[in-house]
Amino acid sequence: MANTAIDCHDVWKSYRIYHQRSHTLKEKILTRRNQYEEFWALKGIDLEIAAGSTTGIIGANGSGKSTLLKTMARILTPNQGYVEVNGTLASLLELGIGFHPELTGRENVYLSGSLLGRSRRDVEARYDEIVEFAGVEQFMDMAVKNYSTGMYARLAFAVAVSVEPEILLVDEVLSVGDESFQARCVDRMAKFRSDGHTVVIVTHGLDTVRGLCQEAVWIEGGVIRESGSSARVVAAYFDSVHGGVANEHPSAEQDQAGAGAASITAVAFLDGEGRETTTFETDSTLTVRVECQTDLPLQEVIFCVAVYRSDSFVYVMGRTSHDADFSGRPPGRHVVEFSVPALPLLPGGYLVSVGLQDRAQKQVYDWHDRHYGFFMMDNARLPAGAGGIVHVEGHWTASPAPSAEAGVGGQLPAEGAVAPERPSERSVVSEIRPHGDPAV
Amino acid sequence: MRASIREVLAARELTNNLVRRDLKVRHRGTFLGMLWSLTTPLLIVALYYFVFTYILIQTPVKGANRPDGHSVPFAVFFFAGLIIWNLFSNSLSTSTTSVTSSGYLLRKVYFPRAILPLSAVLSGVVTFAFELAVLVVAILVFVGLPNAQILWVPVIMALAVLLTYGLALFLSAVTVFLRDMAHFIAIILQLWFWGTPIIYTLQYVGNRPGFVRILKLNPMTGIVVGFRNVTVLNQPPDLTLLAIDLAYAVVFLVIGAVVFYRSQRLFAEIV
Repeated sequence: MANTAIDCHDVWKSYRIYHQRSHTLKEKILTRRNQYEEFWALKGIDLEIAAGSTTGIIGANGSGKSTLLKTMARILTPNQGYVEVNGTLASLLELGIGFHPELTGRENVYLSGSLLGRSRRDVEARYDEIVEFAGVEQFMDMAVKNYSTGMYARLAFAVAVSVEPEILLVDEVLSVGDESFQARCVDRMAKFRSDGHTVVIVTHGLDTVRGLCQEAVWIEGGVIRESGSSARVVAAYFDSVHGGVANEHPSAEQDQAGAGAASITAVAFLDGEGRETTTFETDSTLTVRVECQTDLPLQEVIFCVAVYRSDSFVYVMGRTSHDADFSGRPPGRHVVEFSVPALPLLPGGYLVSVGLQDRAQKQVYDWHDRHYGFFMMDNARLPAGAGGIVHVEGHWTASPAPSAEAGVGGQLPAEGAVAPERPSERSVVSEIRPHGDPAV
Repeated sequence: MRASIREVLAARELTNNLVRRDLKVRHRGTFLGMLWSLTTPLLIVALYYFVFTYILIQTPVKGANRPDGHSVPFAVFFFAGLIIWNLFSNSLSTSTTSVTSSGYLLRKVYFPRAILPLSAVLSGVVTFAFELAVLVVAILVFVGLPNAQILWVPVIMALAVLLTYGLALFLSAVTVFLRDMAHFIAIILQLWFWGTPIIYTLQYVGNRPGFVRILKLNPMTGIVVGFRNVTVLNQPPDLTLLAIDLAYAVVFLVIGAVVFYRSQRLFAEIV
């Protein structure tokens, strides 16, 4: 099976949870037998990971997802069943694996590199790149115990992302560090993926899974609850976890009243050229295309598009009631598009809800809650590692401090004010055309 | 098992890096660095020399003469035995805890586990190499030129390393399940030191044949006696004892490898 990177066959793994573990001879003799409970972390996992695929493993804490990853990484050995790995494998379960505080940055790069399965020549070839990436050139001959936390983390990260195995296993590494750090990590994963390597990620970040992985596996209680396309699995998982949230949403009323009067038949994301995609660059155009079927004149239907991150914070909200005129559109099938030129969202995964409501906003015809996702990538033209929530153009200027008689204390000169560069482009437009029109 | 052996051999660079780490960390920040590893044996030699020369006025060394009648000073004779013993003793005590002290690695990354005791033993070999250099200088200055017998040194060294690694595999695996082992080994090594003809010679206890027979069961006897013979005494090693040692080494290596191989799957969970 050349196109299977990892084959887990009926993998069972148990831990012994010791109530009191005897580590010393005295305890061993006195207690005779250890008191323990058998805990089955994996109960018969059958899973094939295709070569070149990117797979996210999701699940609640204690569901066994990390155990599964460690089993794939050969750190843990299954009690029963086997894991077959085709190709070189490296696991990133921690940043700075094997770093020793007494050793210098340079020495640690080589030590950690060899633990991650890289040859000395390999590390040598990428050494400059690692150092440059970490931005700690002048400290490479200093013991890492004297590094600041940030320097340490950057070096550890640079070493981690320098690995180039055929199969990469990543556990929660993405969730540490600041945002720019995470964004770079995600970028690196995306690069890794586009180079045709196999990636398996264990994470709580559903954004990451949706944005980065084609496949997802949802593990619950040591068994695979669902696996397949990441959008579907994440949605199913999201539903089960956030079931309570969904009920508060108008969607609960959908069945009672007016359901069927209008329904969403398809949703797609288009880039500035009208191509369907799920990855966008910061400051590029995002168009959400909603195909729908209505029994009502279109102006009676309110379209709603909301963009979230996994923290449930709504970043973008578009409603037809505010800024669109759909008068004169008869009942039937329609394609409605919601366009945002120069979408300012920073890199990461985003979820999208699409809904149809009546004009009075009392009735929900159809509501797909966070059912769709797209992924924002770094825009090469923008400075990397921007923090915050969205990208906003700003200008820096410097001028001599105002003299005392200028009076107004502390006020900045007028030209120093931060002004949006392209205000007109930031506005939101909605347009409509009959179903079946050629792409814009 | 065969695959495991191949893996250990394939992980040469990692082993190399771990040995470097051990040595660097031990001597990092010290003014004398590597020289510190020489101070302990030299100090011990000075101490025993003092005791046997000025207090007891009788050295427990008989037959410490080269075939040409050239006598060997007690200090050099003792130093030779001490450094080959230290190779064994230091390697064994560091390797016993080599797995338990690497929990942070075991839980986070896969590598052939058997390189942990291996790198501990190899660190001992590097230290030994420094001491050997000092011994060679001492022999040239105080005794005279060695003869062709010195070519046995690598063979005896290899035998000592094999013997140590077999025991190290066994002890490092057992220590995971029984932490007492580290303390136990420290005491055993103390006794073992006196049960090996390092300070004395086999000839010195020669009038008690039963005692000599027991000493010859000690796998380190052949190695220490052999090493001393070929370095300071210009004499051939006792081949019978070396053959017995080879048998010991093979047995220890097999038992150690089996025990280690069988138990290593639990290391990441227990350590």
